[in-house]
Amino acid sequence: MNWRFPLAAGRTALVAAAGAFAVSALFLLLAGQDPLRAAFVMIGGALGSLDAAYEVLTRTIPLAILGLGIAVAFRANVYNIGADGQFMLGAIAATVAIQATGDLGGLSLPWLLAAGAVGGALFGALAGWLRARFDASEIIVTIMLNYIALQFLAWLVRGPIQETVAILPRSNLIPEPAFMPDFSDGQTHAGIVIALVLAVIVFAVLRHSVFGYRLDAVGESRPAAEYGGISAGRVIVLAMAASGGLCGLAGAVEVAGVFHRLEENMAPGAGVTAIAVALLARLNPLAIPFTALLFGVLTVGAGALQRQMGVPFPLLWIIEAVVIFAFLLAGVRRTRPA
Amino acid sequence: MDQIFLVGLLAAAFRLATPVLFAALGEAVSQRAGVLNVGIEGMMLVGAFTGAWGAVVTGSPWLGLLAAIAAGIAMAAIHALVCLYYRVDQIVAGIALTVLGLGLSGFGYRLTFGSGSGGVRIPTFEKLDFGALGQVPVLGPVLFQHHAMVYAVLVIALAQWWFMARTGWGLAIRAVGEDPAAAHASGLGVLRTRTACLLWGGAMAGAGGAYLSIAEIGNFVEDMVAGRGFIAIACVVYGRWNSIGVLFATLFFGAADAAQIRLQALNPDIPYQFFVMLPYVLAVGALVFLSRRSRLPAALAQPFVPPR
Repeated sequence: MNWRFPLAAGRTALVAAAGAFAVSALFLLLAGQDPLRAAFVMIGGALGSLDAAYEVLTRTIPLAILGLGIAVAFRANVYNIGADGQFMLGAIAATVAIQATGDLGGLSLPWLLAAGAVGGALFGALAGWLRARFDASEIIVTIMLNYIALQFLAWLVRGPIQETVAILPRSNLIPEPAFMPDFSDGQTHAGIVIALVLAVIVFAVLRHSVFGYRLDAVGESRPAAEYGGISAGRVIVLAMAASGGLCGLAGAVEVAGVFHRLEENMAPGAGVTAIAVALLARLNPLAIPFTALLFGVLTVGAGALQRQMGVPFPLLWIIEAVVIFAFLLAGVRRTRPA
Repeated sequence: MDQIFLVGLLAAAFRLATPVLFAALGEAVSQRAGVLNVGIEGMMLVGAFTGAWGAVVTGSPWLGLLAAIAAGIAMAAIHALVCLYYRVDQIVAGIALTVLGLGLSGFGYRLTFGSGSGGVRIPTFEKLDFGALGQVPVLGPVLFQHHAMVYAVLVIALAQWWFMARTGWGLAIRAVGEDPAAAHASGLGVLRTRTACLLWGGAMAGAGGAYLSIAEIGNFVEDMVAGRGFIAIACVVYGRWNSIGVLFATLFFGAADAAQIRLQALNPDIPYQFFVMLPYVLAVGALVFLSRRSRLPAALAQPFVPPR
């Protein structure tokens, strides 16, 4: 992972795009559809109207923040597959916190967002600590924690924090001052500003801070980092806390910006998409908002494809897998051993 | 706990352990050869879909199973190509494989028998009839009222243990996973051996997925594997890469899963979600207690470049 090769990043994008187009065309033909027409439907569905463009923007926000979270962990070679669980814990913490205190006026939104970040950070740090202290594979642990968070959320919205009328599995609305400022009659919200600011902050921290240096050192080689006096265990815990904190913040932003309450399935599949977002950006935080936008377009476009042409939505996941493979293959250097 | 409860629990433990055991046995061999495959979940999903679809198209669950095995092998071939010959990061490739499996199975399902509104009947395996043996109290229901695949996987576990521990080929696989350079120097084809082991892992994961759809549940549901692929990887660690150890690890998980389903019914005042969590919590707990003490195959997840 090197910052200084925009050319290499361009090559990744090219390989990914070519692969994604080829594979999508193949599967569209399998579905008995004309790939060219499908491309028009996808682009028209995602960018053909103002409404659609707003939806793309709204979908981009969580993908960008989750992608930043993934990038922080992956830079330290810590494979956080638990973005979905940390997102849920963030959404839960945000909702519970604001409902516990009630309306705090101008402080409501910052309080909600901070609570979400802390909720996600603690959940992430748990996995990091189990890895650092007990060598428990963070891949399996974070996946297991996803399923645990899913059940925990399912219980909460049917039990202790279910809406007062107790009809649907969801919480009461949060107080209005905690809503994210929105644009165009609520079609999209200010979360995009948060995502962009976060991208700059994460870039600055990774590039210019001691913490960022330590992440990269541990990512390159744990033994070498330890030899250089860095406590790899601490870095892993902190990396997972930061990663989980960002993912939790994404959950809080969705609560404040879109749902205005706690629900199930607030961002289905987003954790996996965020991995593709981060990898396609070659883990560069400044590139992540753009790759997130790309996947926002793909997500909304895949929805249009399903509605208008009956092409199954899971095509999106196939495209995501192709993008990740392309990222991997574009990074291959033909090395000949000495 | 009365006898009926315990008998039901043990019988269910075998049934619920089977899909995980299939996948974990294959993963154990892959890892012994030095290849990490975290894409098991995706392979099982593809196996579950292909098995069900193959059974619907051909009308035979056996042909469905064959199709699932072939699909699992195809998925493993992708992993072998990019990880062994292009030497990309095996963990990230495995994540991509999981996503690919999710996409392929969901896409295929909605395109074929999932598209109609009416339910399509999937031809499923019948449980074996052992006659009088099945009527023996306790032992009958626990051991002699299962699908053929349950017995098949138990036989495979024993055979695989013997193969890995007692044959020259098993030794070759272990050598390739411990010290590929030495294995290569002694004339073993490292990449060929690793490819073969990965393909075996794919076949087994495909079969495990098919067990879910055409034996245990009799239906395909998107994302129906529900983390079992990752629990299988954890079971390889608990079983210490040993087929018999893996067998007991998966039986433990089968029992835990069976227990949580029964405890839900017995404790209606405790929210059921906490019981559903139980196997996942156990998986984390077991990893915490056993990871430090386990010794990974020395060359696990390390790419091998054949010297020329």
